[in-house]
Amino acid sequence: MESTILKERKEFIGYGKASTIKCESDSLSGSVSQRACVYCGARVVLNPITDAFHIVHGPIGCASYTWDIRGSLSSGSDLYRNSFSTDLSEQDIVFGGEKKLTAAIDEIVEKHQPKLIFVYATCIVGVIGDDVEAVCRLAEKKYGIRVIPVKSPGFSGNKSYGYKMACNAILALLEPYKNIPGTQGVNILGDFNLAGEMWLIKNYLKEIGIPVVSTITGDASHDSLVKAPSAQLNIVQCAGSMTYLAKKMEQEMGIPYIKISFFGVEDTSQSLIRVAEAIGTEENIQKARQFTKNETDRLKSFLDKYRKNLEGKKAAIYVGGGFKAISLIRQFNEMGIETVVVGTQTGKAEDYEIISSLVGENTVILDDANPAELETFIKEKGADILVGGVKERPLAYKLGVAFCDHNHERKHALAGYDGVINFTKEINLSLNSPVWQYVNK
Amino acid sequence: MSKNLVNLNVNPCKMCMPMGSVSAFYGIRKCMTILHGSQGCSTYIRRHMATHYNEPVDIASSSLTEEGTVFGGEHNLIKGLENMIELYNPEVIGVATTCLAETIGEDIPRILKRFYDSHPETNVKIIPVSSAGYSGTQYEGFFKALRAIVENVEMRPGKNNKINIITGMISPADTRYLKKLLEEMRVDYILLPDLSDNLDGQHAENYNRLPEGGTSIEEIEMMAGAKMTVELTAFVKDENSPAQYLYEAYGVPYVRCNLPVGLRDTDDFIAVLEGAGGKKTEEMKKQRGRYLDAMIDSHKYNGEGRAVIFGEPDFVLSVTRLCTENGIMPVVTATGAKSGAFVPMIEKDIKKVAGFQFVDSYKILDNTDFDNIEKNALELEANVMIGSSDGRRIEEKFNIPLVRCAFPVHDHVGGQRVRMLGYEGSLILLDRITNTLLGKKEHSFRNQLFKKYFKGNEEVQAPKLKADGLVPVKAGKLAATKAEIARKTETHPCFNGCGSQYARMHLPIAPKCNIQCNYCVRKFDCPNESRPGVTTEVLSPEEAARKYQMVKEKIPNLKVVGIAGPGDSLAEFEKTRRTLELIREADPEVTFCLSTNGLLLPLYADELVQLGVSHVTVTMNAVNATIGAKIYKHVDYMGNRYYGEVGAAILMANQMAGLKRLTALGVVCKVNIVMLKGINEFHIPIVVAKAKELGCEITNIMQMIPVKGSAFENMPLTSNKEITEMRKKCELSMKQMYHCRQCRADAIGTLDNDQSINFRGCTGGSCSTEEKKEKEKMEEKPILFAVSSKSGVLVDQHFGHATDFYIYEYKDNNIRFKERRSVSKYCDGSESCDGMGGGRKEGKIDAILETVKDCKGVLAMRIGEAPKQRLKENSIETYTTYDRIEDAVKQFAKKIQAQHLVNYGT
Repeated sequence: MESTILKERKEFIGYGKASTIKCESDSLSGSVSQRACVYCGARVVLNPITDAFHIVHGPIGCASYTWDIRGSLSSGSDLYRNSFSTDLSEQDIVFGGEKKLTAAIDEIVEKHQPKLIFVYATCIVGVIGDDVEAVCRLAEKKYGIRVIPVKSPGFSGNKSYGYKMACNAILALLEPYKNIPGTQGVNILGDFNLAGEMWLIKNYLKEIGIPVVSTITGDASHDSLVKAPSAQLNIVQCAGSMTYLAKKMEQEMGIPYIKISFFGVEDTSQSLIRVAEAIGTEENIQKARQFTKNETDRLKSFLDKYRKNLEGKKAAIYVGGGFKAISLIRQFNEMGIETVVVGTQTGKAEDYEIISSLVGENTVILDDANPAELETFIKEKGADILVGGVKERPLAYKLGVAFCDHNHERKHALAGYDGVINFTKEINLSLNSPVWQYVNK
Repeated sequence: MSKNLVNLNVNPCKMCMPMGSVSAFYGIRKCMTILHGSQGCSTYIRRHMATHYNEPVDIASSSLTEEGTVFGGEHNLIKGLENMIELYNPEVIGVATTCLAETIGEDIPRILKRFYDSHPETNVKIIPVSSAGYSGTQYEGFFKALRAIVENVEMRPGKNNKINIITGMISPADTRYLKKLLEEMRVDYILLPDLSDNLDGQHAENYNRLPEGGTSIEEIEMMAGAKMTVELTAFVKDENSPAQYLYEAYGVPYVRCNLPVGLRDTDDFIAVLEGAGGKKTEEMKKQRGRYLDAMIDSHKYNGEGRAVIFGEPDFVLSVTRLCTENGIMPVVTATGAKSGAFVPMIEKDIKKVAGFQFVDSYKILDNTDFDNIEKNALELEANVMIGSSDGRRIEEKFNIPLVRCAFPVHDHVGGQRVRMLGYEGSLILLDRITNTLLGKKEHSFRNQLFKKYFKGNEEVQAPKLKADGLVPVKAGKLAATKAEIARKTETHPCFNGCGSQYARMHLPIAPKCNIQCNYCVRKFDCPNESRPGVTTEVLSPEEAARKYQMVKEKIPNLKVVGIAGPGDSLAEFEKTRRTLELIREADPEVTFCLSTNGLLLPLYADELVQLGVSHVTVTMNAVNATIGAKIYKHVDYMGNRYYGEVGAAILMANQMAGLKRLTALGVVCKVNIVMLKGINEFHIPIVVAKAKELGCEITNIMQMIPVKGSAFENMPLTSNKEITEMRKKCELSMKQMYHCRQCRADAIGTLDNDQSINFRGCTGGSCSTEEKKEKEKMEEKPILFAVSSKSGVLVDQHFGHATDFYIYEYKDNNIRFKERRSVSKYCDGSESCDGMGGGRKEGKIDAILETVKDCKGVLAMRIGEAPKQRLKENSIETYTTYDRIEDAVKQFAKKIQAQHLVNYGT
């Protein structure tokens, strides 16, 4: 009989409160990690920039598998929903792909007059010796537009490293605008406008009278992004991907930042109040208090109604980063659902420290888990529902366990007050679906 | 070359080799695959397969890192094989290379030999396949893996009576059908591969993470002794063909046929099986009869089909042949793969249909992308697409329905159950195509015929599209009495001719626009510019109403409320309606004025009148589609985007119909005309004449203001003199406006004095300017708390690890966030301050202490004894907790206050 936990994986798994586990390491070969690559991380962050040409310099697969699969919405251009690839072939591997890339940029500039091009360098580009940075620099000189290289060979780290590379690309874009005069308002960092979540958050801020200068990167455009250096404050939502950028903007542009979270009723309320307190007038703060109180009251009766359907259930969580895992555990706690298994692809030591203090004695905590481990612990701990990404969904169903899609492909908002409603409904309709009655557990 | 971009693949119509190889290995019993390369390849492929098949898809990766890339991946690959064997206990392992492994020159056979040498106990069959992503598509990857399988399994060449059946990528449901057919015909077969169970599993009590179904190694061993091979593909190259290998190495004869899709190819396949001793059954004859019956029943519907068929070469060939035998015209057939045989093979069939239907234009594209497919689909007026979910963006954008029947189907369910093989499968697919055509027609024919034949009458200008189709068209209430309107015109600064006396206010509530004029870039926020389309803030209807009341108090001669964008006031009509209703509630007297591009005017004209709009301005730059096409880039109408003359024609027809309706209802209408040198300067008198004919009151010929970033940014500016001359010329037939100031979308005041800047940000309550004057009534000094937090939401950071503190002030039982402080700012400059834990510890603690020294208390998840002591020495209290920041600060503050009182008391 095959084993379910590899020896070398054991130190990545902990049990209960105050457990410390190994993390932030390379994936173990052959263990069937659920992680993606550096390119994936970079693409996640930059893709929502709607009017940029996103050119994937590499063989076709990288572009093919990331073509318009995310739920980031746009109020302007739809250009970002296309996938541009230099489609390197055997010949290019031998003779280099720089010429092809240059020709591609020339053609795009000539036919489409773009303001902004991102060029993603994939695995083999570095290996075959293409100097993507030089090609981009030359094109910038030649055309006077921004052509920004994104250093994202898949093997050069993991997804988090890709976030960082994307942040560097954004910094390169903002560089010439570093000293523009200031305006009132905030930048929102780390929301990708999945299912319109950025719009939702902007509406809340509008409600309390706080102007939004720029959004990074949900529903962003070249013109909206370059205004970012003029903001008074950065508010950072997905801390895992964007803290680096916020820190850099603080150092280089003097924009302070605060971290906030728009997942869950209380977090959303406190975040709005804090933003108002940080840069608003007394009136803004009063508005924020009133608005969040109204919304909280509105949701209370809703949540009370659903609570009886959810209380006492057990959840397993396997998501990309620590921020999401932590906010999910807390939302489940509010619903009366116990988290019995929790893991992330790229959580950091501090994330796991927080996670371990949030969960009960018997909860299993995993870093970079694989399907075999998820299967083992979901069964062992008797989880009723798994929250995860697309790849984990069929596994949950095969095990006869409900599922909540918490990924970038979803078509309903999970942030803000509306997000709480959607999330609660989704959990309920999967957990209590009649289909489970016919499954022998 | 017809492609839009020749140096780029825009929206790929192909995937890479490893995808195909992995899929083929899924048809082998107890087999796992490892991709030798970086982690992302396996994850992306798993994601694609999991959404199509709705099955768990476990594919390992050797997770190459920088080190492996530089020094070779042998260590990773061997480790990976060991771990897979331990976790899954497979009988077969496929090792597929990726771009990275091939580029760095990994010698897989040598690595595998080392693995076997160092693991003599293993009995796992390891099959390597070279599948660099850049060397081909998933189609080649699939056959390369099959070829590698037959080459690597040790064969038993002793003769047997079996027939080898080798297929390309077909669905699990089709695979089950194929097996059933072979059994019914009593053919003794070996099917390679067989993914029927592995990628379409059941829900069972126990879940097996290792795929249990599929072709076994024992069966594969016998392929060398089979009496023949039938290879179901038309395009496989000999070097990738398993049948060719079995023939060369073991003398097994083979035939290649197309996949049994459609009448002819199913007939052929069955004939081959009969030739090899198979028996045709009565049921099969009936199935054939039923398919033929359906072909006849549906042939007239199918005859109207103009199909786009895209995907792998075999899929496209099979579906094309199914379509052509049913009279569906494949106007675009396309594959992303490179194949010399593709075009001639496909063309043979297409020519016949094109011939009898007199279709003189069609496209067969190989090595293409979706950008090109889209372009040709539009040019050739396709009405159905057949392929994978990748066609869904064209479906969404251009309303061409898509029949999803090829990998990947990830936006619908049932990818694993797609049927098209045999008479039965052909019938299922044909019905889906026919019904899609019927559905498309049913949804569009009423509107199409209306547009084509109905030339309009006085009452109805455009069909009202409502679900029940029974919206009564109101007779239309007249705007107001003539006298009332005349009075309103008197006080309207844009219509009364001497704009100075009365003020108007533009409410920027409508940010969206449904057309793109070449002279316009709708950039918000540019307070120094004064022209339409520009505004600093966009207001909600409620805010707009509040702002109106406030401005009215300050400027009593405000007579007119206008809605002029910054987009089009009718593009989001709900907002306009709500704003007008709210203001009318507050002020029954005020004049409502509205400016629009007129695209949706026929739809809303009656309602505007009912809302009390008495003055409407339509910007109409041309009444000729050729000229219009030069001015308007595109027009978004009823869910579609129209370009060129078509777009211009729709816009102009609606402008004229709308104006006619409005003037008939008594509304005072003005037409704005932007004078564009070299485009409409000689056409303007005709536009003016048309405006007069439609019953308009006045026309306003305006200067074009060249805007940076717009298509017309370099167009020469029309001089005031030229404008005046044109106005003089047109004055002979129509009243002209001479006093236009080309207002901003949020203009406030008289025409000569825009005061909007003074009201910016005022949406009710007090204004920010006044707030500034408000004095802070700070009597008591607040006390400060510092919170060590990583997430910014919880007190979740160890004091000694703190990099940031969230500072809160506490006063009068209230807490308020003050700022975030970064420890590094208080650092003494030594390396130990980088917050990464390394270096001299005291330096870091010093910096932290410096950061919080003005605080009364510090909150952290944990804190060491030494720093706690040092804080105490500086009379800073500590509080360890794990709670939401705001809740924790409140509790701590109360505690401190209580203590303070106690201390004070004693």
